[in-house]
Amino acid sequence: MNRVAVFFSGLPGCILPALLLLAWSSFFLTAEDQISVFLSLISLAACVIVAVRMRWGNVLRDSIAAHERLWDACLIAIMLALLVLFREDHYSLFLLGTIMAYATAVMGLNVQLGYAGVLNFSCASFFGVGGYTAAMLMAGTGLPPLLTLPLGGAIAALTGCVLLLPVLRTSGHYAALVTMAFALLFRVFLDVSEWFGGPQGIPVAPLTIAGLDFSRGISWGDTEFSFYLKYDLLLLLVLCLAYSLTRRLERSWIGLALDAVRSDEVASACFGINIQRWKITAFTLGNFLSGLAGALYAMMLAYISPANFTFADSLLFLSILLLGGIGNIQGVLVATVLVVIIPEKFQVIQEYRYLIYSALVLLMIVFRPVGLLPRKPRVYTGNPA
Amino acid sequence: MNPSIFRKSLLVCCFALFLAFSGAGLQPAEAKTTVKVGYIGPLTGGNSSIGLGARNAAELAIMERNKNPGGEYAFELVSLDDECKPNIGVQSATKMAADKSIFGAVTHYCSAVALGTVDVYHRFGLPVIIYGAVHPDITYAHNYPEVLRIIGTLINQNQVASKFMLSQGYKRFAVIHDTTDYGKSHKEFFTKYITEGGAKVLAEFGVTADQQDFTVELTKIKSLNPEVIWFAGLYPQGVRIRAQMEKLGINAQFQGVSGLKSDAFITGIGPELAEGCLSFLEGSPLEKLPKGEEFMKAYTARDFKNAPDAMAPFSYVAMSQIMDAVEKVGPDRKKIAQTLRAIKGEDTLIGKVSYDDHGQNSEPYVSKYVVQDGKWLVWEDSEYASGKRNLKK
Repeated sequence: MNRVAVFFSGLPGCILPALLLLAWSSFFLTAEDQISVFLSLISLAACVIVAVRMRWGNVLRDSIAAHERLWDACLIAIMLALLVLFREDHYSLFLLGTIMAYATAVMGLNVQLGYAGVLNFSCASFFGVGGYTAAMLMAGTGLPPLLTLPLGGAIAALTGCVLLLPVLRTSGHYAALVTMAFALLFRVFLDVSEWFGGPQGIPVAPLTIAGLDFSRGISWGDTEFSFYLKYDLLLLLVLCLAYSLTRRLERSWIGLALDAVRSDEVASACFGINIQRWKITAFTLGNFLSGLAGALYAMMLAYISPANFTFADSLLFLSILLLGGIGNIQGVLVATVLVVIIPEKFQVIQEYRYLIYSALVLLMIVFRPVGLLPRKPRVYTGNPA
Repeated sequence: MNPSIFRKSLLVCCFALFLAFSGAGLQPAEAKTTVKVGYIGPLTGGNSSIGLGARNAAELAIMERNKNPGGEYAFELVSLDDECKPNIGVQSATKMAADKSIFGAVTHYCSAVALGTVDVYHRFGLPVIIYGAVHPDITYAHNYPEVLRIIGTLINQNQVASKFMLSQGYKRFAVIHDTTDYGKSHKEFFTKYITEGGAKVLAEFGVTADQQDFTVELTKIKSLNPEVIWFAGLYPQGVRIRAQMEKLGINAQFQGVSGLKSDAFITGIGPELAEGCLSFLEGSPLEKLPKGEEFMKAYTARDFKNAPDAMAPFSYVAMSQIMDAVEKVGPDRKKIAQTLRAIKGEDTLIGKVSYDDHGQNSEPYVSKYVVQDGKWLVWEDSEYASGKRNLKK
């Protein structure tokens, strides 16, 4: 066991699982028929089971904790490698883009629910506010398109201010109800306002940065890169920023304050922590991230309608967070991949796909209710490894 | 090690194996060259009954074609779900259109989805025939050579409906519509044609798709005393509105759009109140068509789990047209799109089909229906048309 631990603690410990992950994900993304889809799922399950039985999980976890930068670099490298591998495959690139946009939005939800404990059942609505902001700004104003991204986030955060008072004054189930009501209101509001395209939805102009049209492919020599590649690269950048922001937030004293607010409001108030301030901060920051992701996603999708941002979609975001393990952003990454890709791959079984998908979710809840990668308690003394 | 973990993992493996083998091994061996064609529609969610029926019809068309010994190609169906959501629709459309081995597809029931995906089909050059989405912009907002639509737009339906109502001498209308895209666009065109014809719209009410009580709207309408209450929406609401009209003692003619024409409307409200209600629907009724009965027979013989529902004939014809085009010019997306565009006056299951310069079927036949003795009858066959009975004035 000791030798295994030594092996896993260095660079090779990083490279080997990373390569395995790369190979698996590229196989899974291209899996088209039933047999290869289920083979890849079975192989994943087998790997996880073997890893758990051999107690490699802990070793791996320690390695991740000890060499976090290395692991982060590895994940980015895997993503880039996948993008290069699928440079011409529009569909896979689109899926990868969706994963990154969703992951960014869930990072926002994680700040709210995972850190500060503020319930938000309307994450998809803020995602939608970002998307609609992008659509309206690109169509109606001459603002530089790149600026619409942060503006999408800002408007989402601003819209969230409507909810601040009720969210602060309520707690538990009631706070959940308030945000649920907002999600429903948002949908109805979009349905009846002609200006936003009504129930039919509106087209979103493609992004252009410094004359670079994101709706066109890139040809470089003989290879023709898909236009989705540009969006994916930008989304990767945004995801990295969101990731490092939340990671730093978690580790800072702000994160500590947020944790305290979540764990026990009375106790933290006694220690002089301003509960309302931190709840507002977390809620606004989370909405900003969701809105930012929504704006970029809308541009990639090129067409949005209220049906994309329903209460059910908010539940989807929430389930990503629960599946990954509340509070752990590495878990969010893993869970987003699963939640986005598995139903899509189950297209091969047609109308039964959600049945199987729900069965998998149920199995998950039975066997691992804390999520795939639950958050670890903070360690302050010595080397966490 | 831990025996319970082992047992659990065994369970998961068994489950996965069961999944892997439950659906495999269905493809028959073929000597002909196999060409893939696609279908996208709502297979899950609230509109799945329409989507599944249409998919089955597409599958039926392909099975019949493959059984036929003539022809150079064997066809294989790739069908995807759009859930009636634009984002999922774009995802599925991207998957299908980017797959170079697919040469044509029959797609979409929901207008919002089709509006989002036409750009994708154009970008990748996949010829598609839209079988069920009726929003005008799907074909008329652009001129993509790849996009065709076999079903009429709701423009056609409302032209026929308004012309009919005007010819019956109605002049004063009260309008209720649901606030979905369906209800709103119907309202837009119906009120346009009806006012152009010299009639007056006394009042307009938008209602949400799940509203239960219409007392406020109907009381207002009663004071205006219209000849016709026109409702654009689906039959569950139609039932409520018609029932509450009776309760308030409004004696006006009740007229609906295609969404009202369901047997569930009559059973929901009883034949007495339903008597004389009007509706308009694209296409001729199946039993009126020479090949309609044949189609129903073939469909039921296949033992599909779902009823064909309203859109199955359209999907069937569209799929047949794509396969005809493949047989004619071979698997070449561009040529297939051109061949489809060139279809003029083809006799099909749903009547004549011709595509105009926007790829829109320009001969959409709209049938008029009236309820007589608890049944939807084609207007021309009813006792109302022959003058035996009269609509309300």
